[in-house]
Amino acid sequence: MLIEQLINGLTLGSIYAIVALGFTLVFGVLGIINMAHGEIFMFGAFIGVMITSTLNAPLWVAFLGAIIITAIMGYLLERFALRPLRHKQGVSHLAPLISTIGVSILLENLSHHLFGAGNHPFRTSFAEISFQIGSITVYLVQIVIFVISIVLMLVLTFWLGKTRAGKALRATAENLETASLLGVDTKKTILMTVIIASAMGGIAGILVGMAFNSVTPQMGLSMGLKGLAIIILGGMGSVRGAMFGGLILGLAETFIVVYGDSGYRDAIAFLAIIIILLIRPQGLFGQKIST
Amino acid sequence: MLAELINPYYLQVGCFILINIILGISVYITLSTGQLSLANAGFMGIGAYTSALLTIHFELPIIIGIIIGALVAALCGVLIGIPTLRLQGVYLAIVTLGFGEVIRVIFVNWESVTNGSVGISGIPHIGREILKTLQGFGFQPISIGLQNNQFIFLSIFILLLLITIFVIWFFRRQHQSRVGRAFAAIKLDEKAAESMGINITYYKVLAFAQGALVAGFAGAMYAHILAYISPADFAYHRAVEILIFVVFGGSEVIWGPIFGAFFLTLMPEVLRFISEYRYMIYGLIIIIMMAVRPQGLIDVPLLKALSKKGRKRGQKHGTGNHKSM
Repeated sequence: MLIEQLINGLTLGSIYAIVALGFTLVFGVLGIINMAHGEIFMFGAFIGVMITSTLNAPLWVAFLGAIIITAIMGYLLERFALRPLRHKQGVSHLAPLISTIGVSILLENLSHHLFGAGNHPFRTSFAEISFQIGSITVYLVQIVIFVISIVLMLVLTFWLGKTRAGKALRATAENLETASLLGVDTKKTILMTVIIASAMGGIAGILVGMAFNSVTPQMGLSMGLKGLAIIILGGMGSVRGAMFGGLILGLAETFIVVYGDSGYRDAIAFLAIIIILLIRPQGLFGQKIST
Repeated sequence: MLAELINPYYLQVGCFILINIILGISVYITLSTGQLSLANAGFMGIGAYTSALLTIHFELPIIIGIIIGALVAALCGVLIGIPTLRLQGVYLAIVTLGFGEVIRVIFVNWESVTNGSVGISGIPHIGREILKTLQGFGFQPISIGLQNNQFIFLSIFILLLLITIFVIWFFRRQHQSRVGRAFAAIKLDEKAAESMGINITYYKVLAFAQGALVAGFAGAMYAHILAYISPADFAYHRAVEILIFVVFGGSEVIWGPIFGAFFLTLMPEVLRFISEYRYMIYGLIIIIMMAVRPQGLIDVPLLKALSKKGRKRGQKHGTGNHKSM
């Protein structure tokens, strides 16, 4: 029982971590909270449902389709909601945040009209595969989700730390003007960051659809809010913080459902951020920030 | 004659416009220190639930319920504001967004008190109370040629109009006072303001608590006008709706949120066919406004241009020299 809940918690936490990685990547480079990330994630999940149930296509096609579509959405987001604000004089730092809130509300209601308000089950035989270890049932999906999240984190850490593109990205994050003076194509770097973050959201969407067998237009908002809570918990812009913050939140939520009141599950994330802001405002893995 | 003009439906829309103006101002106050609060829907909910529960269970007069509701919301604002306002602007936006969500979760789950997601009905109606009080003095609406129903809505509308005018007057006065100048200094440059000896945490918390107070007040009024509230009334959509009044109308002068709330509340009523796509249009408006005119439609240069034009015309007619804005 305990171990089964532990596995459930790790699965949920891994999904949270992937969502939070998308937030943290955009925040790390652009210093922007991308409020539309949760909705892009939700679109990824819907694309997955459409491809597997309506077109009866295999799962890898669903993954591919979701990644492509969410990447395009990331491009559009950067092109139309973020880029126009970047070099404008006298624009407050809140403008991109407000702009992405606009994108989020647009996408949420668009999906209401496109897919309907109801709950869509995610039908795939892959989600049913399970095996017994002693008295514990483990679903293959849970292992896949956990592995994908670990792999994504390792690839991202390697990519940011060791590759040329990753260095360009970190330089852009450090200082946009200096990086561009030193020959980094900052426009391309920023675009690429938003696209990669959105595609990761799309992957997370399909994984959630498989794990919980349910996709609704509202899931973007709740997942987006939790992703935000995680990056505050783990430290803004920290890849490791997003990973561990996600796992901590996933485990905490699973155990409160088992041992406490399930209704308050969605409130934990925010109680955690209020406490963390009081004790350690830079987050668990964040660098010290000045006010 | 008067009786035919007064249509309860128009008055109802008018009341919503006034409540939305008050809500828009609540975001504008916090934003005038450069802080974005997305919890105003939550504060509105706190005010509404507090007042509704107090008047139903303890049979307090509505006015006391509304005042306590607004004060409780302000208190929550102080409690949330103190830890978060020491940090950068984006933190407040996220924490307040989360706070709004926590409030909603509490409303849904604390069923013994809040009646869960069903909501609370049978809240004392402010117009009926006014009518009852006046009838106690021997006044009948029919004596001024009105039906009871018309009188109820008319009295609410006039009450709200007076309150809205008071709120606008108060915050315009405050804007020209020491406090208002401190707010403006913090908005322009926090570090410079601090080095000038302005206690920035104090003024930021003050602005945030004022916003919460006004939002809580608007929420309490909302509860006593609709006589029914549910957690869905105070969710994320409401927070975005309040935000867009300011984004669309303008965040630099108080006339911005007033215009935004007026226009955007009236629009779906007049153009019925777009009300289904309302939130999609809101989303587009936010994106376009941020890209094209991030300060909102009404800003200081526009007001100056308008008042200059007005003065010119005034001089032509020989009545000029009135100070505006």
